[in-house]
Amino acid sequence: MAAVAATALALTGCSSGGDDKPAEKPTGTVTVKVWAWYPEFKAVVDQFNATHTDVKIEWTNAGTGQDQYTKLQTALKAGKGAPDVVMLELQEIPTFALTKHLVDLGKYGANDVKGDYAGWAWSQVSSGDQVYAIPVDAGPMAMMYRDDIFKKYNLTVPTTWDEYKAQAEKLKAASGGKSFMTDFGANDGGFMTGLFWQAGAKPYAYDIANPSSIGVNVNSAEAKKVFEYWEGMVNNGLADTTAFHTTDFYNGLGSEKYATYLAAGWGPGYIQANAGGAAGKWKVAPLPQWTAGANAQGDWGGSSFAVTDQAQYPDIAAKVAIEIFGAKNTEAWKIGIDKAFLFPTVTPVLESDAFTGKTYDFFGGQKVNEVFVPAYSAIGELDWSPFNSYNFNQLTTNLGQAIEKKTSWTAALDTAQENIKTYATQQGFKVQ
Amino acid sequence: MTEVKTSPAAAPAAAGPSAGTGTRRAARVKEAATGWLFVLPFAVLLIAFLLLPMAYAFKISLYRSTLIEGEVFAWFDNYKQAIDDPLVREGVVRVLIFGLLQTPVMIGLALVAALLIDAATSRFSRFFRLAAFVPYAVPVVIGTLMWGFLYSDSVGPFAWTGIDFTSTGTVLASLGNIVTWQWAGYNMIVLYAALQGLPRETYESARIDGASEVQIALRIKTPMISSALVLATLFTIMGTLQFFTEPLILQPLNPGAITTHYTPNIYAYQQAFSFQQYNYSAAISFLLGAVVFVGSYIFLFATRKRSALQ
Repeated sequence: MAAVAATALALTGCSSGGDDKPAEKPTGTVTVKVWAWYPEFKAVVDQFNATHTDVKIEWTNAGTGQDQYTKLQTALKAGKGAPDVVMLELQEIPTFALTKHLVDLGKYGANDVKGDYAGWAWSQVSSGDQVYAIPVDAGPMAMMYRDDIFKKYNLTVPTTWDEYKAQAEKLKAASGGKSFMTDFGANDGGFMTGLFWQAGAKPYAYDIANPSSIGVNVNSAEAKKVFEYWEGMVNNGLADTTAFHTTDFYNGLGSEKYATYLAAGWGPGYIQANAGGAAGKWKVAPLPQWTAGANAQGDWGGSSFAVTDQAQYPDIAAKVAIEIFGAKNTEAWKIGIDKAFLFPTVTPVLESDAFTGKTYDFFGGQKVNEVFVPAYSAIGELDWSPFNSYNFNQLTTNLGQAIEKKTSWTAALDTAQENIKTYATQQGFKVQ
Repeated sequence: MTEVKTSPAAAPAAAGPSAGTGTRRAARVKEAATGWLFVLPFAVLLIAFLLLPMAYAFKISLYRSTLIEGEVFAWFDNYKQAIDDPLVREGVVRVLIFGLLQTPVMIGLALVAALLIDAATSRFSRFFRLAAFVPYAVPVVIGTLMWGFLYSDSVGPFAWTGIDFTSTGTVLASLGNIVTWQWAGYNMIVLYAALQGLPRETYESARIDGASEVQIALRIKTPMISSALVLATLFTIMGTLQFFTEPLILQPLNPGAITTHYTPNIYAYQQAFSFQQYNYSAAISFLLGAVVFVGSYIFLFATRKRSALQ
């Protein structure tokens, strides 16, 4: 079945010239194929095409997240059918870099724009002078909360996870169990990793410059602390476990089922599109802290543009990747910020008054970036492994089963750790 | 693996006396060529889209490629690993249980429905026939998505029951319901068509002998369409062993209950397209193909007296 599908894709996949021949100087307008799934991306493409005569973007939405990666892996494996420029989430970059399918953008001037990005964000896409992708948006986490529910039940906005739990208990009692403090979807490894990140966990130690060696520490004390906390929240009926990104989940956000949503910078865009009913009732506060007064932050998702080895003119493709959401492209960012709720990684845009001072109707006129921008700046560095799909799958499968069978969450982490180590060894990595 | 049953390219030239003069031989050669010409379009498609991909899949299933060390020839290591893999076994056991429960229910429903509309000859029966067939016309993906909404515990019409249709304990039944909904009508049409082909005189003589309608249905009609029943059951068994689309579509609703190793087919798909283990995936697919083949064969062997496929 799988092989048949792969062959069929290879047979029908459209070519964009995957040969290793040196790029000749093209004549006329060059078409660059781009895969991306941002909401409202069409307007950005139109704007880019209207302002460029030498290069034209041909955009395809090949699905969100894993759906797109599956297609991309197939096309890369087949040797044809991949786009020139592709949207990759930050955690996926080592996976595609390891198999040498990403063009080193450092050769095409990417290091010239390094200064436009925060250190942690640039380190996510590069190794030394090698640049595998250009970061576009990030997912600094914050706590979105329903102001109306908080007022109705006299809840105070929590600043620590202890307070958060206390408010959750108050909410459960006051609402008669009708409202949960939040939803802990076990189907998103990025969400869990964001919370681990905030708690200071470092699940992997990996540098693409030394590709065959990896440290795996998925079940660290910090990660276990996070899981123990949430296991308690779920078992005490304070947090729901409906899967994220489902109808029931968005419905819960739109109704009074969930009082808070531990969201990333890009989250509001998706909520607005899927649960617009509660517009104006939401507000944003910083993510609760493990220690009172601390400023530890985590990132959930975020994306970048990479150039694949199937790009016919890697230099032109690199130019597109760098420019499309570059610091100078304020027009694209106007669309990205106003319509798609993208959270920019590029510092000049991020720090502009237009961004920090922007009021959002969805949040009742709150200037939410006053919360998200400091959170973004406080994010620490984190390595991803070159087999992230497997790792996220281990997290979601084992936690999902622990929730279903009401078994220990920390034991699920131990299982994930063992399986990931086995997988890494099987794949030829030296595991530390 | 999709199993395509091929009768050995029915050789039309086999007929006729063997000895012959030059002209007769020429005629025979011409006849044979015509026969091959008729078979050619099918043969080309068969080779291009089934045999070649299968050969390719078999080839890569003998290799082992890792992210770091590249590709090495590994003989049957992948097969050994697949047979020892508890996740593969879990999936196989699950589809077997699923098949044992779902197949009789669906074929039974289809048979009852076919007998009922065969007995009734009103305009209502025509409407019922069409209504039961409609789910089959809905693409599997759409049908499953639709059921996903129906199972929803916030917007679904069954939310008031308080049943969580996608929890570990219920999800197999929920999936069985989708498959039955999708395929019962199709099977009903197959059985109904077989019923239509039966000679009506038999019923007359049975009635004269004092048989009731129920007795006619159970003792005359059902045994007489046993070969159609066998065929419908065989297709169902093959479909069950390849169970893939429905669980994959419902997976986002509860990945803890519908895991990435829920069925062998999903496991193979994940191995290839999420974890870059193409070789292992090919080995699992091949093993699954073998199981489907053997399973179908055992079923046909067990029912050979009724199947008219001796």
